[in-house]
Amino acid sequence: MTRLADRLAPALLIAMTLVVFVLLYGPLMVPIVSSFFTIHQGAVDWSQPTTSAYVALAANESVLNALWTTLVVGIGAVVCSVVLGTGIALYYTSPTAKGRAFLQFIIFLPFLMPPIITGLALLIFFRQVDFERSLVTIIIGHTVFVLALVYRTILTRLQSLSSSLVEASYDLGASRWQTFRLVLLPNLSSAMVGAAVLAFALSFDETMITLLVTGTQSTLPIRLWAMMRLGFTPDINALVALVLLFTTLLCLVAVRFLMPKSAVAGSDED
Amino acid sequence: MSGQTLDAGAEPAAHAGPSRLTPWLAALAAYAVPLWFVLAPMALFLGYSFFSVDKGNIVFTPTVANYVRFFTDPIFLPIFWRTCLLCLAVAVLCVLFAFPVAYFLTTLRGRRRYMLLVLLLVPLLMSYVIKIYAVRSILGGNGMLNKALLATGLIDKPSMLFVFNLNAVLLTLTVLLIPFAVLPIFLSLERIPKALRHASADLGASNAQTFWRVTVPLSMPGTLSAMSFVFVLAIGDFLTPQMVGGQSGFTFGRIIYSQFGTAFNWPFGAALSVILAAVVIVAIRLGGSVERQQGGPR
Repeated sequence: MTRLADRLAPALLIAMTLVVFVLLYGPLMVPIVSSFFTIHQGAVDWSQPTTSAYVALAANESVLNALWTTLVVGIGAVVCSVVLGTGIALYYTSPTAKGRAFLQFIIFLPFLMPPIITGLALLIFFRQVDFERSLVTIIIGHTVFVLALVYRTILTRLQSLSSSLVEASYDLGASRWQTFRLVLLPNLSSAMVGAAVLAFALSFDETMITLLVTGTQSTLPIRLWAMMRLGFTPDINALVALVLLFTTLLCLVAVRFLMPKSAVAGSDED
Repeated sequence: MSGQTLDAGAEPAAHAGPSRLTPWLAALAAYAVPLWFVLAPMALFLGYSFFSVDKGNIVFTPTVANYVRFFTDPIFLPIFWRTCLLCLAVAVLCVLFAFPVAYFLTTLRGRRRYMLLVLLLVPLLMSYVIKIYAVRSILGGNGMLNKALLATGLIDKPSMLFVFNLNAVLLTLTVLLIPFAVLPIFLSLERIPKALRHASADLGASNAQTFWRVTVPLSMPGTLSAMSFVFVLAIGDFLTPQMVGGQSGFTFGRIIYSQFGTAFNWPFGAALSVILAAVVIVAIRLGGSVERQQGGPR
């Protein structure tokens, strides 16, 4: 009896894992596959594959505008968060830093709280200080949201650097700026690029905060959100497929930059 | 290297040692943005929850009326409890799915383990709205689930059990949040020393006994923190219930949103959000404290 159970257990484990993978990836396949077909009366017409949805998408001005907004917001948020994140990480590790735990707490707050709270807090704040909702408010919202991740990634790398590197640089007569530019920056660059890519991916998909702090602009997820209320059309599916492809690529790039080389090499031990 | 010389000339102060002002300037620079764009909005938000509204204008006189209204009005408390229950169910379901996967991960080594882990984490980074849309395309009246059920003859007309109601919210949230549960469970399983399982076997326990009496109890910190993690994400979500919940799938998040949109009662919405934040903090604390208490051998 127990023998049988012992033999069945691994099979059951694999079966459950497969079920989870079907749950995770299965739903995503549906819009991707159906993006290559047309829809008649709410049902997919499987008879003839076509790329017409992609062609229609390329001519859809509102989608292209949303894409442009998304890119501008993403780049803005990445630049702001990497500069801020690096600065704050450097400050955190400097011996004169004050109130480290408090500073970290504030930075992590928007990441720990549900996005709806972060978004609403910013919405009230912008109204109270009479700051018109615009592209800038979206960038601020995204920066606040991704800052924790960028800061944490850069801080981790910074702390793994040996302090003797910086000391040696000072001993050799380098100024602070020189030490930063010639010693720290080269060592931090891959973490910064990885964090930037990840931040961009997060910003690219961010919906909740954007929904609340946006003025008239709509980013791609907001546009999708609006389109999806109308139901299932091939061009939404095509857009979904493209966005999925793009985010997956971004994540793979981020993993490449952030994964310590030893981890990848070490995984070859098989 | 003329650049170096130039830089050295440009910043003689650094060589002379930082002035007394520098630490304060650095602190100001580091604190400015987080204080102004994170702490100030959050504080203002908390403040708003104690204001009220009169004919569409906000009255800046402190009052606890919003909180009193939440606890006394017959509408809000039931929806609040129902949402908590729903999210608890999502957390339990996610753990039920995630545990076997996490356990399977620990049995793998090297490249295979790494690949599977990456495959489990990739969906985390995919667009949230798109995932909701994708799951909805399966649950819908015309969706795959109904088609499959029709094809097998289990039902004879499309079932409306999974469309625009709490069931749909439950299923969608579960599918979306499983990956978040895998990681903490995997980490806590990995932390269990192999010697304990060997010892259990040496003492004559069967694999099943070892699993139920050694592995599962020792993985509890990770399992509970996975639950609190999923619960927090689920209860803070507004997009999923909005998109698949329909009329009957009204959740706490949607009430909050409606106070800022249609009802235009920002102070009351802020008070409801403060209650949400309190629940989130308690859930994070609970998940975290178990982990700290029985952090176990590292």
